[in-house]
Amino acid sequence: MRSIKRGFKSFRRHPLGNLIVVLLLFVCLTFSLSMLVVKLAADSQVENIKQTVGNYGEVRVSSDYILEMFEQELDKGERQRQREARSMSEEEQVADRARFLLPEEVADAFSRQDHIITYDKIQNAGIIILNATNSELAPLAPYATDEELARNGIEGLTTQTLGNLFVFEGNTDGSSASDFLNGSKKLVEGSFFTYRDYLENNRVALVEKNMAEDNELEIGDSVEAVIVGGDRNNRTMEIEIIGIYETLEAERESESILDYNPAGNKLFAPLPVVQELNGTPGFVELGSYYFDNVDQTATLRGAFSQEVAEGDKYEFLSDYEDYEKISEPLERVGKTSTIGLFGALGACALIILLAMAIIISGRTRELGVLKAIGAKDRQVVLQYAAEVICICLVSVILATGATVLISQRIGDWLLSGSAQNEAGEEEAKAYTGNYLSDRKLYKEGGLYSTAVEEDDDVNLNVIYQGDLLIYGILILFGISLLGMAVPVIWITRLRPARVLSME
Amino acid sequence: MHDVMQVKDLSKTFKARAGDVVAVDKVNFEARKGEVTVIVGPSGSGKTTLLYLIGSLESPDDGEIHIFGEDIASTGADLIAYRRKRVGFVFQFFNLISALTALENVTLPMDLQSVPTSEQHVTAMELLDRMGIDARLQKAKANKMSGGEKQRVAIARAMANNPDIILADEPTGNLDSTTGRMVVDILVKLARNDGKCVIIVTHDEDILEVADRAFHMMDGKLAPHRKDGSTPS
Repeated sequence: MRSIKRGFKSFRRHPLGNLIVVLLLFVCLTFSLSMLVVKLAADSQVENIKQTVGNYGEVRVSSDYILEMFEQELDKGERQRQREARSMSEEEQVADRARFLLPEEVADAFSRQDHIITYDKIQNAGIIILNATNSELAPLAPYATDEELARNGIEGLTTQTLGNLFVFEGNTDGSSASDFLNGSKKLVEGSFFTYRDYLENNRVALVEKNMAEDNELEIGDSVEAVIVGGDRNNRTMEIEIIGIYETLEAERESESILDYNPAGNKLFAPLPVVQELNGTPGFVELGSYYFDNVDQTATLRGAFSQEVAEGDKYEFLSDYEDYEKISEPLERVGKTSTIGLFGALGACALIILLAMAIIISGRTRELGVLKAIGAKDRQVVLQYAAEVICICLVSVILATGATVLISQRIGDWLLSGSAQNEAGEEEAKAYTGNYLSDRKLYKEGGLYSTAVEEDDDVNLNVIYQGDLLIYGILILFGISLLGMAVPVIWITRLRPARVLSME
Repeated sequence: MHDVMQVKDLSKTFKARAGDVVAVDKVNFEARKGEVTVIVGPSGSGKTTLLYLIGSLESPDDGEIHIFGEDIASTGADLIAYRRKRVGFVFQFFNLISALTALENVTLPMDLQSVPTSEQHVTAMELLDRMGIDARLQKAKANKMSGGEKQRVAIARAMANNPDIILADEPTGNLDSTTGRMVVDILVKLARNDGKCVIIVTHDEDILEVADRAFHMMDGKLAPHRKDGSTPS
């Protein structure tokens, strides 16, 4: 204890020399700790991102397959196609309608993969509603012909029915539809349809607010939708309106044109209702899956290739690229800060070693005297250890304070540097983009979404947790030990007789 | 008076590029309580090495050093305890710790022995008073003192743990003659009044005047000093 006390006193007695060492260490330690907290923040944010981005996947008919089918159809010629269509049996017609759809049991089977937390099945269909007008499409009717519509449009569509065409999106639970999850649409009246409605095939739907107003529809009213491929006994379906939603992005975009609502043509209904309306029972457009985190992507891709893919008929798409886009700058920051951390720690090590070597060599006579008057090596080492710890402790405390002040700025600076690099790479990549592989995921709003794509800036939030203190103590411990190595070696090897005779 | 110290056949050789240097060559002598033993000799004669061997700052190649009957040159001897309790050193270049005050320099050996702080201060102040270092000087840093003051503080430090033996290496070598005389007087008083065994090695033959025992050292060999100044064969 007395040796330690002597060490503290000695630290106070050499203010100038120690101050220089403290300042040098302070600079390097501030840099080290800043790099450390930036790295911790970047790593932690990447881990958080893994739970929310990149952990979404969907299974659907592949772009390549769709392209191949289109090419085959084109090769046939119009007459042959019409002849084939006329001669199709009812089962063949269903199969024809479902050729770009996924069998529901395939979507269900894939949901049983490990790591999948939640899943949904979605089908979109263009459906005619007899007692409602689509204010978006109705004005276009005069510019179309029945032939053009028959060739390019949805089955049964004519100039008379164009203004009655609506999009139906079916899934297993209204509130989990991506438009509601991503906030582009919001329920304003009534209620969502539920999983029970899905199971019981209840004929209910959610309609858009402007569409409801245009058609004077209220909660509890019904619309009469035409069933695709339906027979005389089962040609239409009565669907009850149970909820009204509004489209937030569309409202924002249409401030100057009050009656224009590009999203007013979409209805949300339980999946079996949409399947029946579209004449494709047992089929879905896609299976949508959320899994534990992005690290499982490869495993799920592997399982998909082995069990589902059927060559290249189906594809597994995920938002891994979104994850990469967000996490890459952060990972770069993490790597850069790791290099910075070790560089600065190396500088700290060098400083403390050199400083202690200079301090000790300047006090050789003092060491000799201490040994000559009966100090044990342990006592002298303890004294110098206390002095080293004081130097390191003051440096670490000051550096910790400075770290709190500047690490966020350092993090932002590293992130901006990293983002600039990435922007350059994106520019280079832009020319190699493949339109078909850039199909929008259902999670992002899907094909019919009106959600505005936002390029969110990645931010690095440097948060000071207990970790900083622990690492600060560890660094303190490390550099102190290193600093002590010099006196230990020097003291144990010192022969007092050699130094005491020196003038 | 009793023998405090008996040195028998003590030898020390240093390895050097030019060949081995015999610094101490089979030295034999005795020293007693209350006596001043003076060893004179020219520079390089081995007298400082002999003093360091006695003070256990160097280890001998051969021979015995009996202090109150215990051979401190033998393996297993507690040299740290010996240095703390039995001997006190006075050096030519004082070897005070310059960053410490006079008082702190004197309390240091006691602090290493874990003597209570209050007791350290009382003892140190008494010793410094005896050496003529007043209260103001006691609080001065060692590097602010004159040579004579430094050497008196060094003697006080050597006395701090009340050792039986005071080993003084050229204690006047760095002092003017008046101050040197004063320092020698203090050492003599320590022998006469306090019963210490004082051993002084020096090249200053004037100090022989105060010696109870005098030896001459040349080329590592020690011989009784003859008052006529002749070197024994």
